[in-house]
Amino acid sequence: MKFLFADLWPWWFGGIAIGLLVPAMYYFLNTALGVSTSYGNLVKILRPDTRLKWLNSKDFENRFNWRFVFVTGMVIGAFLSARVSGMPLGTVQMGIFTELANWPYAAFMLWFFLGGIFMGLGARLAGGCTSGHSIHGLATFQRSSLVATIFFILSGVVATCLIRQFIFGGV
Amino acid sequence: MKNNSGYLMAGVFFGFALSRSGASDYNFIHYMFSGHDLRLAFLMITAIVTGAVGMQLLKRLGNKDAHGNNIEINRKPLNKNTVIGGLIFGTGWAVTGACPGTVLAQIGEGKALGLFTAAGMVFGTYLYARFVEEPMQNANKKD
Repeated sequence: MKFLFADLWPWWFGGIAIGLLVPAMYYFLNTALGVSTSYGNLVKILRPDTRLKWLNSKDFENRFNWRFVFVTGMVIGAFLSARVSGMPLGTVQMGIFTELANWPYAAFMLWFFLGGIFMGLGARLAGGCTSGHSIHGLATFQRSSLVATIFFILSGVVATCLIRQFIFGGV
Repeated sequence: MKNNSGYLMAGVFFGFALSRSGASDYNFIHYMFSGHDLRLAFLMITAIVTGAVGMQLLKRLGNKDAHGNNIEINRKPLNKNTVIGGLIFGTGWAVTGACPGTVLAQIGEGKALGLFTAAGMVFGTYLYARFVEEPMQNANKKD
C-alpha cells in the first residue's frame, strides 16, 4: 500500500499505468486519450453565447460533454493522490521556480498565466498536447505527433536553458 | 450521457497516476528539460511503448471496442502549424512546468499558481478560436 499511495511511483510503473490508458480508452470508451481540446469546453462555459465558429462546432455542442467530465476527474484524481500521500492542502510555491526567481508574487502569477497562453495557443495549432500527441499519437505511430513532439522538446530545452541563465541567475 | 461514469473513472485514474508519478511536479519537468533528471522522459517513453503494445493487441483482436464497434484512431493532420504550434507549446511547457493535463493535477494538488497556468490556457484557446480558426473558416466560406 505504501508503494501505491505514499511513495512516488517509479517511472516505469507510472509509464505503464498512463500508457495503458490509450488502449483502455479506445476499448471501453472508443475515444482517443487527450486533454487540450477540453479547454475549448472551458472557454464555452465562460462564454456560452460566443458566435465563434470553432466553438460552435460539433465538439462543443454540449459544453459539459465527456471532455469536461474527463478533466474534472483528473482534478479529483490528483486531489486524492495529494490526500493519500500527505501533501499539504494547498501551496503558493511552484518548485524551484518560486525559490530561485526573486520576484514579487504578482510577477509569478503573470508568468504562469503567460506560459498558459503559449500552451493553449500552441496545443491548438499543433493539434494536441503531451497526452494527445506525445503519448496517444506516438503510440499510434502518427507522423504529425512525432514532428510535434520533437518541436515540443526542442523549444522546451531552449526555453529551460534561457530560464536557468536569465531568471535563475546562471545555475 | 451514458458513458460519463467511464470518462470520470478514466480522468480520476489519469490525474491520480500523473500526480503519483511526479509528472505534475515543477522540478521534475524542469530537470527533464535541463537534462539533470530524465525520469519523466523515461516515464513518457514507457507510456508510449505500453500504449503501442496495447493498441497492437486491440488490432490483433479485430480492432473492436467493448461494444463491438470498430475502433477509429484519431488521426492528426501534419502541416506547418504542427511545427509552429509545437515550438509555442514547448516554450509554455518549460515556462509553466506543466502541460494541459498535468496543470489539472497541480490544481487538484492545491498548487495555487497552477490556476494561473490553466487560466492562461483557457485564454490561449480563446485566442486560437478567435484569431486562427475564425479567419480561416471565414476565408473557406468565401471560396
